[in-house]
Amino acid sequence: MILPTGGILPAHALAVAFTAPSDPILAAAYWTGIGALGLTLLLGAQIVRLRMALRRRERREARALARWRPVLSAAIIGETPEELPRLSDSERPHFIKLWVHLQASLRGDASLALNAVARRLGVAIDARAMLARGPRTDRLLATLLLGHLRDRKSWDILRDMTNSPDVTLSLSALWALVRIDPPAAAAYLTPLFIERDDWAMSHVAGILKEASAPVAGVLADLLPALPPERLPRALRIAEALRIVLPDDLLSGALAAADIELVTAALRIVGTPGLLPQVRELLAHPDWQVRVLAAKALGRIGDRSDVDRLVALLADREWWVRYRAAQAIAELPWLGAAELDALQAALADRFAADILAQVIAENRSPGGTA
Amino acid sequence: MTHYLLIQFVTWFVLCYFILLNGGYLVLNMLSLRTLHRKGQEEMLDDLPRAYSGLEPPVSILVPAYNEEATIAASVRSMLQLTYSEYEVLVVNDGSKDNTLDVLKREFGLLPFPEAYRRRIPTKDIRQIYRSTRFPNLRVIDKDNGGKADSLNAGINASRYPLVCGVDADSILQRDSLEKVTEPFLRDPTVVATGGTIRVANGCEVTGGFLTKVGLPRNVWALFQVVEYLRAFLFGRLGWSSVNGMLIISGAFGVFRKDTVIMAGGYRPDTIGEDMELIVRMHRLLREKRQPYKVEFVPDPVCWTEAPEDYKTLKNQRIRWQRGLAESLSANWGLMFSKNGGVPGWLAFPFMLLFEWLGPVVELGGYVFMIWAFLTGEISWQAFTTFMFVAIGLGILLSASGLLLEEMSFHIYPRGKQLLALAGVVLLENLGYRQLNTIWRLIGLWRWITQKESTWGTMKRKGDW
Repeated sequence: MILPTGGILPAHALAVAFTAPSDPILAAAYWTGIGALGLTLLLGAQIVRLRMALRRRERREARALARWRPVLSAAIIGETPEELPRLSDSERPHFIKLWVHLQASLRGDASLALNAVARRLGVAIDARAMLARGPRTDRLLATLLLGHLRDRKSWDILRDMTNSPDVTLSLSALWALVRIDPPAAAAYLTPLFIERDDWAMSHVAGILKEASAPVAGVLADLLPALPPERLPRALRIAEALRIVLPDDLLSGALAAADIELVTAALRIVGTPGLLPQVRELLAHPDWQVRVLAAKALGRIGDRSDVDRLVALLADREWWVRYRAAQAIAELPWLGAAELDALQAALADRFAADILAQVIAENRSPGGTA
Repeated sequence: MTHYLLIQFVTWFVLCYFILLNGGYLVLNMLSLRTLHRKGQEEMLDDLPRAYSGLEPPVSILVPAYNEEATIAASVRSMLQLTYSEYEVLVVNDGSKDNTLDVLKREFGLLPFPEAYRRRIPTKDIRQIYRSTRFPNLRVIDKDNGGKADSLNAGINASRYPLVCGVDADSILQRDSLEKVTEPFLRDPTVVATGGTIRVANGCEVTGGFLTKVGLPRNVWALFQVVEYLRAFLFGRLGWSSVNGMLIISGAFGVFRKDTVIMAGGYRPDTIGEDMELIVRMHRLLREKRQPYKVEFVPDPVCWTEAPEDYKTLKNQRIRWQRGLAESLSANWGLMFSKNGGVPGWLAFPFMLLFEWLGPVVELGGYVFMIWAFLTGEISWQAFTTFMFVAIGLGILLSASGLLLEEMSFHIYPRGKQLLALAGVVLLENLGYRQLNTIWRLIGLWRWITQKESTWGTMKRKGDW
């Protein structure tokens, strides 16, 4: 009942207010409020619980670090203790985190020394168990540890993990496999890099740096048989890893109708054998193709290409003009005086402006000239 | 009898509105929980040194500045120290009346540069473009005054890179902020815009343009805003982002795919809420084109901003925000219930309209009506207390859930005392502050209806960074 039934005194009213009303809708609202109050109290308790758990975790971590940091630091400088302390279960995750963190910035003997400490402590066995049965956090941590340890025994499970739809997990597994055996990882995973669009190219490229030679071989074998829709991504991987592909492979891509494929091929053109095709693409109707053709000409062009690049300085698209100007300014046989003369002689205002800008960029601090 | 029914109808309407409003936010809260849980699992990966492959998309940071002589040098210096493989900083001096340009010239060794400026989005005239002799990746555009949106458009025109990042001149960025907010662009080529969590910098220590120690403000207005920001970002935006329905990316720090912004026509100079308006317009246009896209929110605290500490500045800020919201929605009605509108058109836009745009009218109207009805004896004391109990109780629940999300994920405030203070604020802000906000938002709505001209907002600064 919403409407007042009569003169209710405040004291009575308060009492009424804290008992469930008889009107069904008012009762529903009342119980909503009670629910909100109850949930708020629960949230409060959960916040306190979380904070206490955090404090406990921090204390455990501080204790673990205080015990293990000196041991690992000593190992890094080649002074591993004869007897290692026992690694307790509660210390293990903190130890692994510390170990992985140190490994991430180490190379050579120092890295091997940390590996030796981990093996002596039997961490690899624990990590394999974490990888097989642990929650997601443990699996991520174990992947990093086993990758640094180059643990061959975990190869199969890591390989299965690369098929996981979870991008973070699958990329971590990919990284570990490349660490363990670069040629084998390249053979198995190169088709997967091309297939998995959800793997960010920059991440894949970063991971594959260690295996660029074996990936190059696999990629060259794969490319002729790849469906056209997969070719641009494969070429982008080749670009990222600075893999030089045979001219006949790139020639086909440069002649394709698909803009994405043509631009991907133009990015890695590196030999004069493809010059005739690149020159043809300077007149392509798509401005992105013209931009990359200008850049490619800057890399592989000869003296006869200067006029072609100068013509592009008057292109209707700013980026084509800019890249053409950069290509001209970077030609090794054009000196500063010749460049200035060329700029002064330009009749087209847009062409003169863009070349003036690039000359100024190159001559200012941090420029390329 | 009609009178009775009318009173009853209004009472139920107001009650149901409050329950729906808060229930909607609780659903967003649930959506955020999952994302934050997953994020927490990957925390340790964030600590590891990052290897750049050189394939990260380069970013142009756009810094519009108007009368910022006191802070601009420190801000730009901190932006030049971000950890990212390739980026440029473009400061746009929007015809400042103070010495902003002179400070920049002196601090960064600026020299006029013969740039072939291209005007892809119309802007006020460019006076001169400068390039730093000390930092090759710093340029300054000096232009006629045209407002923040106009400055951002000029920055977009002059930018070199495929991603543009709008940053307020007084924003304090985390050193790894660019890495964090560009991450979705690496993962997914359909991402067109990302935004990160903005936190209140009042009470924190800032050295060399970077935040060195987190603290809570002593000022009560700023303290209220700490909890408000937690609510707004950790579940407001994150919740909508998880269903690709986010309609706001804060102008203080947001990254956009430049081609998409240009396709949409750039920022609208005639609006106050240019940041929100652009996002809503991008949703509308991309939906119309049936182009797959994503607007993502990164929950990491990437940017800190100074919150107003006095009544007048805060009130003006909120009035401007409400006007901006109203302008953004009214300029893009076409998105609502459009054929291909998806979550933004069928859920987020109506939600914004009903609970954010119309919210102040119903909320304040609800409070006023309930008090009036109770005082005049139209409703019972029981109905009145139930209303207040539900409205305030749900508000506290929402604020508490914001605090829980913070504790689950980033636990930025390390001390127990700070947590206790925030818990107090969670309670207190629902007993007056939120209602006050509703009044300010109502004024904002009124100002939007009466269409007063937009200008740069003024901010009374206390920070000495």
